[in-house]
Amino acid sequence: MRKVHRRYLREFLPASVAYAVLIIAYGFLARGLESVLWRCLRVVLPLVPVILMIRVMVRVIRDQDELERRIDLEAIAIASMVTGFGFFTFGMLLGASNWQAAKADAVAIWVLPYLFLSFGLAKIWVSRRYPTG
Amino acid sequence: MNNHVRKLRTEQGWSQATLADRLDVSRQTVNAIETGKYDPSLPLAFGIARLFGLSIEAIFVPGKE
Repeated sequence: MRKVHRRYLREFLPASVAYAVLIIAYGFLARGLESVLWRCLRVVLPLVPVILMIRVMVRVIRDQDELERRIDLEAIAIASMVTGFGFFTFGMLLGASNWQAAKADAVAIWVLPYLFLSFGLAKIWVSRRYPTG
Repeated sequence: MNNHVRKLRTEQGWSQATLADRLDVSRQTVNAIETGKYDPSLPLAFGIARLFGLSIEAIFVPGKE
């Protein structure tokens, strides 16, 4: 693994763990808090590790080599469109039918994992064009 | 675009990993350049030329466009 990717993992893992902990805490604390201010704070708090994750991702895209950057940018383009239009279509389907699949926040919680999963799959697909030999 | 990177690398007795380390790129990038699947940017092409002590034109040959 190249140095740039070791640094990425070293910085990204703590941020993503912090995000997961805050999301889980959101579920546990949801019942106990009555004040609107505290409820809003609890919702906004996971954005702090998200900002860190954005910084880490931008740094790795900037610092990796040009072919790695091309592969990542193509994969990000595919993943963001698949995720955006996927959830948009899912929301429209819920609206068009009487299907009560899940509460809005339960659907929203899956957006990020779905984005990461589709990015991983898109990256494997794009990388097939450039085998390692 | 065609190139002589693989020939020059093997003449030096270097592996793809060695060349990748010297250019500070991944082995995947070296392999993609050698197999003609990826044309390097001008800065990377200059880096390759400098490493082998040749001009860019001596390494990279325009293909049929």
